[in-house]
Amino acid sequence: MIKKVIIGAVILVSASSCVAVKEYEKVNINDPDMILSAALIKRFETNFQVYREGASGANGGKTGGGCGCN
Amino acid sequence: MVEKQVEAVDVINMKKYFTSIIICCFVIGMSQAQTNTSQGTYKKKVLETAEVDFLMSYYTQKGDHASVTGGIGNEKLTDVTPTFIVAVPLNADDVLTVNAGISAYTSASSSNLDPFDGARSGASNRRNNEDDDKVAARATKVTGSPWVESTGASRSDIWATINTSYSHSSDDRNNIWTADLGFSKEYDYSSLGFGGGFTKLFNQKNTEIGIKGQVYLDNWNPRYPTELDSYLEAGQNLNNGFFANIDILDQSGNVIDKNGSLVWSPLQTTLVTNKSRNSYSLSINFSQIISKKAQFSLFFDLVQQNGWLSNPMQRVYFADRDNYYIGNASSISKYTSKSNTDVFQLADDIERLPSSRFKVPFGARFNYFINESVSLRTYYRYYFDDWGIRSHTASIEIPIKFSEGKFTVYPNYRFYNQTAADYFAPYEFNLSTSEFYTSDYDLSKFDSNQYGLGFKYIDIFTKFKLFKGVGLKSFDVQYSIYNRSDGLKSNIISAGFKFILE
Repeated sequence: MIKKVIIGAVILVSASSCVAVKEYEKVNINDPDMILSAALIKRFETNFQVYREGASGANGGKTGGGCGCN
Repeated sequence: MVEKQVEAVDVINMKKYFTSIIICCFVIGMSQAQTNTSQGTYKKKVLETAEVDFLMSYYTQKGDHASVTGGIGNEKLTDVTPTFIVAVPLNADDVLTVNAGISAYTSASSSNLDPFDGARSGASNRRNNEDDDKVAARATKVTGSPWVESTGASRSDIWATINTSYSHSSDDRNNIWTADLGFSKEYDYSSLGFGGGFTKLFNQKNTEIGIKGQVYLDNWNPRYPTELDSYLEAGQNLNNGFFANIDILDQSGNVIDKNGSLVWSPLQTTLVTNKSRNSYSLSINFSQIISKKAQFSLFFDLVQQNGWLSNPMQRVYFADRDNYYIGNASSISKYTSKSNTDVFQLADDIERLPSSRFKVPFGARFNYFINESVSLRTYYRYYFDDWGIRSHTASIEIPIKFSEGKFTVYPNYRFYNQTAADYFAPYEFNLSTSEFYTSDYDLSKFDSNQYGLGFKYIDIFTKFKLFKGVGLKSFDVQYSIYNRSDGLKSNIISAGFKFILE
């Protein structure tokens, strides 16, 4: 599985050189709803999900630390 | 109690400290904004003016699998979390961000660290180091239940945190360095975290690769189930201390002979031996713009944890050991029913889990700008670790703008599932012959569905002024319902205000 992901990532990096959206063409990409991370307000949801679920990480958020006792 | 008062003073001092730092950042931000304006800087700043975010959430949950009482019992919980985030431009290239907040919670599960309120026993509820013999002498009728929320000190706590991060961008904004340092504390736990990262943008800022390392050095101040704590304090003698004047019942409801051969005792008398819990993570992310309307990112983390990874507050009951109780004998037959309000089963042990855990989550986001009014935000993550948990997470959000983009409504849905950890078994299903065991349903097999609806207001001109020089840039509120297949249900409402210091 990891090997497939790495191969996919290499292909994506290679393919990226073919695409170049100019700065003045990024008006839609720069829309606040297009940000490639969770919104700030989602941090509380992420926190309780980390506590109530066995999985965590790979979302740009906290990946360790803290008790999660309750 | 004295310890708890000292901890409360610590938390108050910490809050004062946080407040001072936030005020300092506020003042620095105002002065920076003015200084840069007066100097007439031409280089476009990474952050034009100081920003202050005030965030707040209110979380509630209810369920029947409290981990402190061995996988059955009331797990009602409420949590309120006010948080401030202040971002200050130090100059055109550098930004300092301070994040401070508290989380004030009440938990039925934690309250039953000491379910015997009447006896005032154990570490979680003792008055001024009161002698065990006096405590027990006062305890004429001791009852408890995993279904009844106790009123002891362990019922509530405050978690406080502060985190400072610094970022530096190169002149062409294609290289970004970050560093952060944070600390958090609650009654039985403290955490020190620090890390750093580097992000590289290229291909006309169409492509981005980032790497980040993070370390958390955590420490337990362990609290134990009161019967285990009291047993050790009484020199492992049921005729001493807390147990001296209390009847212990067997499964049939008969009072046991404390000097006989069939008596209650915990499986192990060695509790937490290593109070540290350290986490080390390496995160890599890759982002790519693929058209004028679409972009995606990939995330990959490697996380290694070492130390005391189990929770010393959580009881375990074994299938292959006799059961013993304190309370009303006639309620033993309905112990697992909510109608049991006055009998409590003595723990066989606290949960035991391996001293290391290796986690590998990787995920992806894909966002598509459908038109001026509607966007599509998607997320997927696969996770596995060496405790046997495998998990899929998928979410979708559709922001819909109206009133020329000032207002946005964003319905969202999230699906999650996981397999059980190798060490999980329900109440009375673990075996004492196992090396590791837990009845924490957060590590059980389940799936969950979360439905949310958010509303956002954005005014890039910050026309609304809170007071002179402080304008409201955005307001965001979201409500979500979370249903887990084991019966746990929760609700969370979050709100956020972003202010610009002009």
